[in-house]
Amino acid sequence: MSLKCQKTQRLLSDYIDESLSERQMADVALHLDTCRTCKREAIDLKKTCHLLENFYVEPEASDAYYARFTKTLQQRIDQNPPTALHQQVRGIGARLTWQLLARVRRYIDRCVPTRLITVRQKMLPYYALAATMMTLLVAPLVLKQMPTGENGEHALGHLYATAKARLFSTSTPVSHQPAATLAIQQDQTTAQPAEIRRNVSRSRTTETPTVNSGSDLWQFTDDPVAEGYILTTLRKNSKDTLPSVALDIDSELLAYAELLSQATPGEYPTDREVLTDGRYALLLLQGIRSGQHALQQYKRKRGQFEGFSRKLLDVPLETLSITEVYDSIEL
Amino acid sequence: MERTEALLIADLCEGDETALAPLIEKYKRMVYRLAMQITKNHADAEDVMQETFLKVYRSIRTFRKDAAFETWVYRITVNEALNYVKRRDRRQERTIETTAETEFEPEAHYRATRASDPHVHAEKTELRRYVTQAVKSLSLKHRTVVILHDFEGLTHAEIASILNCSEGTVRSRLHYARKKLRTLLKPYVDAGAI
Repeated sequence: MSLKCQKTQRLLSDYIDESLSERQMADVALHLDTCRTCKREAIDLKKTCHLLENFYVEPEASDAYYARFTKTLQQRIDQNPPTALHQQVRGIGARLTWQLLARVRRYIDRCVPTRLITVRQKMLPYYALAATMMTLLVAPLVLKQMPTGENGEHALGHLYATAKARLFSTSTPVSHQPAATLAIQQDQTTAQPAEIRRNVSRSRTTETPTVNSGSDLWQFTDDPVAEGYILTTLRKNSKDTLPSVALDIDSELLAYAELLSQATPGEYPTDREVLTDGRYALLLLQGIRSGQHALQQYKRKRGQFEGFSRKLLDVPLETLSITEVYDSIEL
Repeated sequence: MERTEALLIADLCEGDETALAPLIEKYKRMVYRLAMQITKNHADAEDVMQETFLKVYRSIRTFRKDAAFETWVYRITVNEALNYVKRRDRRQERTIETTAETEFEPEAHYRATRASDPHVHAEKTELRRYVTQAVKSLSLKHRTVVILHDFEGLTHAEIASILNCSEGTVRSRLHYARKKLRTLLKPYVDAGAI
């Protein structure tokens, strides 16, 4: 048998199936026209395939066999259900991973309609891993470049704290404008005229407490609970610290805005007005919410911490200023 | 409303066990056929079927939705059947008193058939049995390729994917299997019994 015959006979099976290329088909056909041995071989092989095609009997089972099989299979599934914890976890993990990858793929497909970039599905986990690692590597560098606040905190941290405070604050929603807002601004002596500071100093007779709010601004919103009262809830940023005097009493600070009964109705304290015994703003303490119970609680606490309210009133004007007037209130 | 195959697969992925029955109903004959041809035994074929559908049920979440479910079931069935036969053969090798499989003797079979059954119809019946027996007598590798290609109609590429080998290997195995079959069926081929 020549080399040509050997080569042809190796291709005979594919020739019969017509699964060769056009050129190979032509080559084999040409050889078969000239070689009797190979042609005989090809005919025999074709007859064999024909025999297989027409006379081979595929096995078939009875319906009873399948019924028995189904029953047994169901029993096995019931006995050993694939809902064991590790399988569930594995399944959930696989499903989530698949969904994530499918989403990424859809997103990429949408973003790249021209399919300039093709992402092979098999490579997606590696892309995801690479992206995660890149994020972990780059994030600290980016944070370092972020501007820091006065307290040395990142702007991102401040934003996060503000968002958290707004989301989880139990006080009046941000959009709701408070009727009374007090602001204690930490020492603004540099911004205040010296004359006012002197006047304030002279008008105070008691010892001035140290107020360290830890923040530039304490803002209070009102929360009316009973007749004649406005109990003002502190809206506090999470990074703020309470004034030291307040910390002495309780960490949960509520502010109380108060006008004495002898104050003229409709006359409100104004910004930078020196607070006197007749008209003053009172900051009060913790635990006061709403309802009758709150009122009683307030009265008790007020008596208990009278000294504290006095001390607050003695805060210098530079430290305590009223940025918004409040509604007429009777105590 | 009848659920589509894709929906059944999705439901099964979500843990809906009721989706398994329609899938079994659809593929049980195919799985049996394959398992039976590879294992050559009813009882063994049933074991392979059990393992195949259990695997389908438990591994459905790993099935890639972009692939054909049928090809996936083929792959599981063939692998389960091949592994089963290999295990069975190892067990049999260890057994000293093993009943040897009857050697397939084509010439003797042909002569006996011609002598005992002169009628054409009976001859065709015998021919069917003969051809089937010839395929059964092939080696496991050759038999698997012939079954998948000639009887199940899979392409070389699909078979290569299922058997985890190259297309060239599939072509080669198919070629040698057919040559072997031609030798086995020579009396009928030469007699022009087609």
